[in-house]
Amino acid sequence: MKILAIDTSGLVASVAISDGDILLGQFSIQYKTTHSEILMPMLDDLCKKVNLDLKSIDAIAVAKGPGSFTGLRIGSATVKGLALALDKPVIAIPTVDGIAYNLYGNEKVICPMMDARRGQVYTGLYTFVPANPEGKIQERRFDMQIIHKQFATSVDEIAEMINEIGKPAILLGDGVPVYRDKLENLLKVPYSIAPMHQNRQSAAALLPLAMQYLEEGKTMSSDEFAPDYLRLSQAEREASEGKENAPKKKEPKTPGIIRVRPMTAEDLDDAAALEKANLGKEAWNSKQLLDALTRDDTIYVVAEKAGRIVGLCGVQNISGEGEITNVSVAPDCRNEGTGYKMVKQLLERGRGIGIEAYTLEVRAANAPARRLYEKLGFVSEGVRAGFYEDPKDDAVIYWKRN
Amino acid sequence: MEINKNVEEDGVIFMSIKDGLSENKENKANDGDVTILAIESSCDETAAAVVRNGREVLSNIISSQIALHTIYGGVVPEIASRKHVEKMNGCIRAALSEADMTLDDIDAVAVTYGPGLVGALLVGVSEAKAISFATGKPLIGVHHIEGHISANFIENKDLEPPFVCLVVSGGHSHLVVVKDYGEYEIIGQTRDDAAGEAFDKVARAIGLGYPGGPKIDKAAKEGNPDAFTFPQAQIPDAEYDFSFSGLKSCVLNYINQAKMQGQELDQKDVAASFQKAVVEVLVSHAIKACKEYGYDKLAIAGGVASNSGLRELMEKECEANKIKFYRPSPVLCTDNAAMIGAAAYYEYQKGVRFGLDMNAVPNLPLGDRERRFHANKN
Repeated sequence: MKILAIDTSGLVASVAISDGDILLGQFSIQYKTTHSEILMPMLDDLCKKVNLDLKSIDAIAVAKGPGSFTGLRIGSATVKGLALALDKPVIAIPTVDGIAYNLYGNEKVICPMMDARRGQVYTGLYTFVPANPEGKIQERRFDMQIIHKQFATSVDEIAEMINEIGKPAILLGDGVPVYRDKLENLLKVPYSIAPMHQNRQSAAALLPLAMQYLEEGKTMSSDEFAPDYLRLSQAEREASEGKENAPKKKEPKTPGIIRVRPMTAEDLDDAAALEKANLGKEAWNSKQLLDALTRDDTIYVVAEKAGRIVGLCGVQNISGEGEITNVSVAPDCRNEGTGYKMVKQLLERGRGIGIEAYTLEVRAANAPARRLYEKLGFVSEGVRAGFYEDPKDDAVIYWKRN
Repeated sequence: MEINKNVEEDGVIFMSIKDGLSENKENKANDGDVTILAIESSCDETAAAVVRNGREVLSNIISSQIALHTIYGGVVPEIASRKHVEKMNGCIRAALSEADMTLDDIDAVAVTYGPGLVGALLVGVSEAKAISFATGKPLIGVHHIEGHISANFIENKDLEPPFVCLVVSGGHSHLVVVKDYGEYEIIGQTRDDAAGEAFDKVARAIGLGYPGGPKIDKAAKEGNPDAFTFPQAQIPDAEYDFSFSGLKSCVLNYINQAKMQGQELDQKDVAASFQKAVVEVLVSHAIKACKEYGYDKLAIAGGVASNSGLRELMEKECEANKIKFYRPSPVLCTDNAAMIGAAAYYEYQKGVRFGLDMNAVPNLPLGDRERRFHANKN
């Protein structure tokens, strides 16, 4: 019985092959390379090194989601192509189950957390329960028990659930470093964090689960397999939330068209470069932007044109008042409505995090920006004389109150 | 034109295109024949086709999501990418079975790797790489617009380079000299909006909705093209370049003025006059290019190439100027995989092979090759 497993749901690209209960090989990379460029060469290399004819495998296992939408699709389309060409069944395993299986035999509460952005994590709760195999007295076998199956929720809520169980916990996954300080404040039980060799997605960890699925007949054809994102696309979500105007504002993302969308971690480097080009010393670096992005009282959007980040802006909710910051547009994309579109989207989204009024500051001499804000209904309510340096200028304070 | 259509539960339209199909597909392949399985997923159409020797289409399958995106007023990349994953295998299986073939009969796997929506492209690219690897068949990456140009080869067996080609679609407005198979010289392009983009925007402004191209084309047939005179931009020092942004703004301004003055707006007249302005610029540039560069063959390609106003005027002007005019059937002007198979054949013959590190390149320029992905990197 040979199984090929693939996990591309997060930052790790991972492939593994088992033969019976032997792990023939695993190739895992957690680096800045794109999964699309690295996954197939890794598989090719692995097959060559273990002298495997792919036609001899019995099934293909895949982490079916949740995870990065694009990452999931690279893995899924690869698995579908392989399974179609080789005529093999697909075994779809929940991503978070696979991460938890790294900690086989651990009787603590196991809580994998994947950063899901927007203040949320993809998570679940697991533990391992012992049993004695038939005829054995000392030998133990552990079964993974799912306390709460994988879902998307806030860090506060999952911490609350761990506290309610009241037993020691072990945390793992790429969401842990992102929310580490928050978790320290929220958790009331002793907890530890899994070491690096166990705390990320691993295709090898999918293999024992895949063997169980196979025994239970839980396979599917490559045609019916599709990832389980656990989330609707943003456009569908906004439409279902009844934001009637939201879907109609979507523009096709063809070259030359400016499209505004929420900033994601993949945009950080481009966004920081844009800040730097526009603001020089005053610019935020990607670490500051990451910090801003992962807070749940902020919204950051970027403008994208022909695959390039050409605009950035954000808002932070300070007790109901939204302070708009970092409005930045690439020099060659100004006067095209980029700023207008971005700020307008911020205003629309801001209500969702409880913002009732908006404020911002702008250089008095920046006439195009001031016209833009006035067009959006902002009113000048005051001036901070000599607030800006280099060149010296007044800051005009704008408000938009409902 | 024969198209077998089936609307699926989720609103996606599954189509098997019979138009332009090879008539002698019963004939078994001869020695030296090259049969390519081609895949396309650059925007909102999932497509697969089997093409023999670049010009014989053995099957042509398109799964169109257009109904899903219409409610959002344009293509939503995330929805498009998700649907590609769901539909891809069905399209590939249908393409193989209609061609009466298995993967064993295929000589190479071709796929669009740019330009387009990156998330959408990645689905086709990942799938094609996996099939290529699992079957051991060579992999060929194809430029989407080169595919559109190559759609002309399918129904015009006599068409061979060199010729002039006008490429007009939602993302592109290029005037190109096709010097040889796979060799392109761009002599003119848009300075701002693509022609198809202008169609979409104007259609939205006059309340026709998405997709703008076909809707304006239809309305224009009943309108008076001389009702209004909209400007046709000429770019100084770049006589073959286009600009549609000014024209679009002029139409939008006119609509706003009419609204403010409480005038009744004749949708059809605006559509007809706008279309005339776009089409006249496209045709005059293309004819001038043929004459000045000395080519007597002119082809059109891309989604806007199915515009009936463009086809009629181009035909008339070509005849008057003794230029042979080539255009694909409207169905081959939309995104499809048969055209990708046609373009891939000529790359295959040149020995182009891609490595398993091929990635999607969302802004791949026309005529460019991402040689870093070539298996034979020289």
